[in-house]
Amino acid sequence: MVALARKTLVYEWRRFLPAILAVGFAGLLQLLQLALVLGIFGSTSLYITGSSADVWIGYPGTQSVGQGRSIDGDVESRILMDPAVQRVEPYIWVDGDWRGTTETGGVSVFVSGIDPRADGLMFSKALPPDLRARLAQPDAVVVDRSDLDQLGVGIGQTATINGHEVRVVGISSGLRALGGVNVLCSLDTARRLDSDAEDIGPTYLVAKLRDPTQADAVAIRLRGDTAFGPYTTWSAHHFARLSVRYWMFDTGAGAGVLFLAGIVFLVGAVITSQTLIAAVNGSVREYATLNALGVGVGALRRVVLEQAFWVGALGLLGASVLGVVLLLLARSQNVPVVLTLPAALGCIVLVMGLAAVSGLAAMRSLRAADPATLLR
Amino acid sequence: MHPANLVTPSTAAAPTIALQAESISKAFVSGKQRTQVLDGLSLHIDSGELTLISGPSGCGKSTLLAVLSGLQKIDGGRVLALGSELGQLDLHALERFRLQHTGFVFQGFNLFPALSAFEQVELPLNHMGLSRQEARERARSSLEEVGLSHRMKLRPSELSGGEKQRVAIARALAKEPELLFADEPTSALDAANGQMIIDILHRIARTHGTTVLCVSHDPRLVVHADRVLAMEDGRILSDQRNHAPISASKGISS
Ligand SMILES: Nc1ncnc2c1ncn2[C@@H]1O[C@H](COP(=O)(O)OP(=O)(O)O)[C@@H](O)[C@H]1O
Ligand SMILES: [Mg+2]
Repeated sequence: MVALARKTLVYEWRRFLPAILAVGFAGLLQLLQLALVLGIFGSTSLYITGSSADVWIGYPGTQSVGQGRSIDGDVESRILMDPAVQRVEPYIWVDGDWRGTTETGGVSVFVSGIDPRADGLMFSKALPPDLRARLAQPDAVVVDRSDLDQLGVGIGQTATINGHEVRVVGISSGLRALGGVNVLCSLDTARRLDSDAEDIGPTYLVAKLRDPTQADAVAIRLRGDTAFGPYTTWSAHHFARLSVRYWMFDTGAGAGVLFLAGIVFLVGAVITSQTLIAAVNGSVREYATLNALGVGVGALRRVVLEQAFWVGALGLLGASVLGVVLLLLARSQNVPVVLTLPAALGCIVLVMGLAAVSGLAAMRSLRAADPATLLR
Repeated sequence: MHPANLVTPSTAAAPTIALQAESISKAFVSGKQRTQVLDGLSLHIDSGELTLISGPSGCGKSTLLAVLSGLQKIDGGRVLALGSELGQLDLHALERFRLQHTGFVFQGFNLFPALSAFEQVELPLNHMGLSRQEARERARSSLEEVGLSHRMKLRPSELSGGEKQRVAIARALAKEPELLFADEPTSALDAANGQMIIDILHRIARTHGTTVLCVSHDPRLVVHADRVLAMEDGRILSDQRNHAPISASKGISS
């Protein structure tokens, strides 16, 4: 088979270049935007991804970590009954009002009460062991370095949360929150800080499994028992996704991503289809000759579609190479970027879909390839 | 007119009729203007001959060719090609008919800029259901037949006008069609190249038994045809046969 589509693309690359660039930029733009949004909103699942729990147990209907309500502490015994569960520990979330020593006004803080033991699950990946050990002291808190100015404190200084005095015993990094400030303390401290009388149990229970790969199955198995009051379970992975998705759509960022995807798709498709149409028009007499010789219209359409496919594939290749370079550059500059497999697949679908739509549009101009017009 | 060009009855067994038109009519309407190009025209073309339709520009030659080859529908009458009535075939069947039985050579060469001469010829063969081997074999021998065996790797931009037209002929010839249609195949070429093209077409009719129908306003081609139909204003004015064509013997010897 003579590879007409490919040979034309190579020989007339100058003609196809605008389409390849349009497709490439469309893909790149979408990739970077997604990576940035995922990077920024990824911090909303820090509580989950920075910890080593495999299964989370919380109030039914909770959409993000920050929205949990307290559950019955006795659920713990039910969870522990499952042979797959190795260990369970409580996690307490308290919304607090911070008053620093300097006049900062009230700062909204997210208090995380965790088990400060060395082998504790919560924040095991985000909190250095020495800082974790210091949380065992009563009323001790750890905050992120980047929040110090906002909180108006330094190490060793005191402040109040919900009217209770706390003392900053350590400064960590990588604990930044979205829409507030994270403050870490022990479970006991958190219980003292909680001003809501209705909160009797922990906000969450987090469990470590003997086999972490079973997280999804175990989470489903543990659901649906109401003997201890309302609770539900998620695998850590699932809950993290839920949190990120909630933020994406609650803040309108998700709509922004979709909006840009639409614009990018439209502009890319216009440029690409125009280029492909011009290429078809440039060869319309040759296509008509093939049709005169009996090569069917369907076969000619396939040539145009194949051209569109290669334009898409080349654009994608360029976008991938440039995208990886830019993402690495962003990482090195501490810009929060995260690329997940579904996001990358989404970009590929967008780009190839764009190319396919353009190819279909260009196929229409094959109608001019009427062999009768060659006889004049 | 040439005095030698008198009608000669064929001495061999009666030739079969490859193409037959029965009182065909064709008009073009553009806006309020209606042009009756063909009006009740009848003719038949014998197989294995080079028939030339000559006449002034605009008299309807190309339209007649388009109608006889099934590229254009007629308003009235009947066209029989190799025994099939073209008016009865739908678009898909017409494509199949052309794929199996017809070759075309146009005034413009219509070669893909990206393909080598060899690939131009091979490409339509790929769609005929031939094996890759067979397609290549046919492409090679067709290009040899038009004298381009040393030019097979070149792209159109590296070929002269005459060479491009020979590639176009090879492309049609490789399909081994029963019918070969040529519309003004020489008018974009100089005299020497035009001569060569008409010689090749004639030789194809002789050696392959192909029915070649050539349309041209160029009076120099008249002497090279087996039969000349003079056309004017959509009607056949005269029908003449050249006997013992000189170019034929030349064709066989090479
Ligand atoms: N598609 C068309 N639409 C309108 N008029 C046409 C069309 N094709 C041909 N004609 C007219 O039909 C007449 C014959 O054209 P054509 O067959 O191309 O002549 P020739 O090939 O002998 O020069 C001309 O007057 C031309 O203008
Ligand atoms: Mg003409």
